[in-house]
Amino acid sequence: MSTTNTRFPTIGQIVLGLLAVVGISLIAYRFVYGIGAVANLSDGYPWGVWIALDVLTGIALASGGFVMAGTIHLFGGRKFHALARPAILTAFLGYLLFIIGLLVDIGRPWNIWKAMYSWHHESPMFEVAWCVMLYTTVLFLEFLPAVFEKFSLTRIHAYWHSLVPWLIMFMLGFFTLAMTYSWLWAGIIICILLLWELAMRTKLMPRDKQMPIILIMAGVIFSCMHQSSLGTLFLIVPHKLHILWYTPILPALFLLSAIMVAPAMVIVEAILTEKSVGHKAHTHLLSRLGQVIPYLLSLYLLLKVADVVGRGAVPYVFMLNAQAISWWAEITIGCIVPIILFLDPAICNSHKGLLWSSVPVIVGILWNRMNVAVVGIKVEDWEIYYPKWSELFITMGIISIGLLVFQILAKNLPIYESEAPSGAHN
Amino acid sequence: MKAMLIDATRCVGCRSCQIACKEWNNLPGEQTEFFAAKGYQNPRDLSAKTWTLITYNELKVNNRFEWVFGKRQCFHCQEPACATACPVRALEKTSAGPVVYHPNLCLGCRYCQLACPFKIPRFEWHSPVPKITKCTMCADRVAAGLEPACAKACPTDAIIFGERETLAAEAENRIHRNPRGYVHHVYGKDEVGGTCVMHLSNVPFAELGFSPNLPRRSLVQHVQHAMQPIPFLIAGLGIALGAISWIVNRRIELQEKEQQQCPQPTHDSPQ
Ligand code: SF4
Ligand code: SF4
Ligand code: SF4
Repeated sequence: MSTTNTRFPTIGQIVLGLLAVVGISLIAYRFVYGIGAVANLSDGYPWGVWIALDVLTGIALASGGFVMAGTIHLFGGRKFHALARPAILTAFLGYLLFIIGLLVDIGRPWNIWKAMYSWHHESPMFEVAWCVMLYTTVLFLEFLPAVFEKFSLTRIHAYWHSLVPWLIMFMLGFFTLAMTYSWLWAGIIICILLLWELAMRTKLMPRDKQMPIILIMAGVIFSCMHQSSLGTLFLIVPHKLHILWYTPILPALFLLSAIMVAPAMVIVEAILTEKSVGHKAHTHLLSRLGQVIPYLLSLYLLLKVADVVGRGAVPYVFMLNAQAISWWAEITIGCIVPIILFLDPAICNSHKGLLWSSVPVIVGILWNRMNVAVVGIKVEDWEIYYPKWSELFITMGIISIGLLVFQILAKNLPIYESEAPSGAHN
Repeated sequence: MKAMLIDATRCVGCRSCQIACKEWNNLPGEQTEFFAAKGYQNPRDLSAKTWTLITYNELKVNNRFEWVFGKRQCFHCQEPACATACPVRALEKTSAGPVVYHPNLCLGCRYCQLACPFKIPRFEWHSPVPKITKCTMCADRVAAGLEPACAKACPTDAIIFGERETLAAEAENRIHRNPRGYVHHVYGKDEVGGTCVMHLSNVPFAELGFSPNLPRRSLVQHVQHAMQPIPFLIAGLGIALGAISWIVNRRIELQEKEQQQCPQPTHDSPQ
């Protein structure tokens, strides 16, 4: 990889480094004095910005990984090939950060592995925990080829390619067993995967030369489960979550909104890293992505409005209270504004336009998750929650670590392809 | 299944139960403070140190101001939302009645706190080794054939302990015998699928701070429609994704073959 002439470290990196140090110190403090020492969380609001930002938003924004991998390897979008690796790396790091955030947020992190043997398949949180573990593993496997290439580990790469499908069959089978307690279901899932794999090995079904199709499929399946299960978490609180957000279709809304934010995330990430990592963004690919966004957003908006109408919650939309205002903010920033912007072809063809129309989509998702996890939760009148400064600094510290690691990896591994078609990249 | 019946009309607000609970469970005292509320209640709310609390409510009863005392503690739901929520079965509904906690399994995710419709589980916010805490219905005493400490301590028998059916019948009976002395509702008999701690009162329960509009269906049923289809979704996605990729990539392969025959390379395709 050619390095750019930028100074090292840059101002940005110094700021990130400082934030990381502050964050780590606060985390250390939290592990000595308890969560209450660094957070405004309370028994009324046991979940705050850590859950809303690190977990719900973070996971939604990592959706680029499975959406791009699926588009490219399953749905024939091979022309987007150049966007796959950055998206997968972003998702992988996103999940690792989210796990760090989770270890800070949960009170007894040394017990986290107990989810692997004390099964409770009725609990949405159990599904979340399993999806986190397994999808992070999938992302790691998807990320490995970049490492193999960098160090020319051709032999290991070949082993990886032939072994991964079996590992995936085991993982998905085990996951199904945990979710159903049924050997029959686990067997069915394994058989389905086995059939595809055999079809590919016998050359009946076309085989992807770079990625085992089964791996990509598992990524999509775990992601769909994970994104929707985060919505399922809130189905158990009909008494606490405001009517504007409490809906039986919350899991579907979470999944759809994660998918729709994926192209926006890929665009923002490609344009922002252009300078810091020193590669050229693929404008024509990004424009194509930009053209898809308004359709996804419209579908989501339609579903959301139909849901509010269908449940008879319309009067609550027009009340003058914090919840209604926050609902409008979410809808306006996250859906209406970007739909209007992206429909303008001029915007879709310029970097600036793409960047500044994608940002509101991301902000809208963040706002939505904040609404569901914090703003919409109503408990006693006297209980209020707003994040303490240290909560925010811990979150920022963790994100800073992620950005620094991303820069290092993106510079040193073959993550970005140059814009000029430099022949076969393999 | 064991249960408790708490009759607010018999409670004199002596707080013996609050003290007995602390003594039996070895809970420390609270740093008390002033807060805006209806009376002499203290502390304001349950906490990791206070598993039961007598609420003081100065209310108009038959056009007279009167103290009405409510008791806050875990309801030991028949289908507890906290136990449904817990990913690792750290909260468990025992067949004897009490809902008990196993700290060695708990992750501290606090989903049980979010899920509980009565806002009962409390977290030790200032401990590096925090636990979830709540009333255990004195499961240890119950297992030894004793009644819970608070019921034992109550001087007016406002708290009684026994089989759930017996107590539910007794509650109906009290309302029946004194229809003007009670609101005609046994709180906990049907709420969220029924609970093992039931309350009687002479004022509407909302005025004592009990959530008035809880669904009768247990909260477990609110998540089932999202949890049960999981294996179908996995299988469906497994079939659909494989099939789509087969069809799509086969077509691309065929196209590529055609293109190879007429020599016109394109930039786009990576292979
Ligand atoms: S009242 Fe809350 S904590 Fe107690 S059993 Fe019911 S759901 Fe669990
Ligand atoms: S905090 Fe502990 S008891 Fe509560 S849901 Fe999480 S793991 Fe279960
Ligand atoms: S049953 Fe036991 S733990 Fe529960 S409030 Fe009474 S004394 Fe406390």
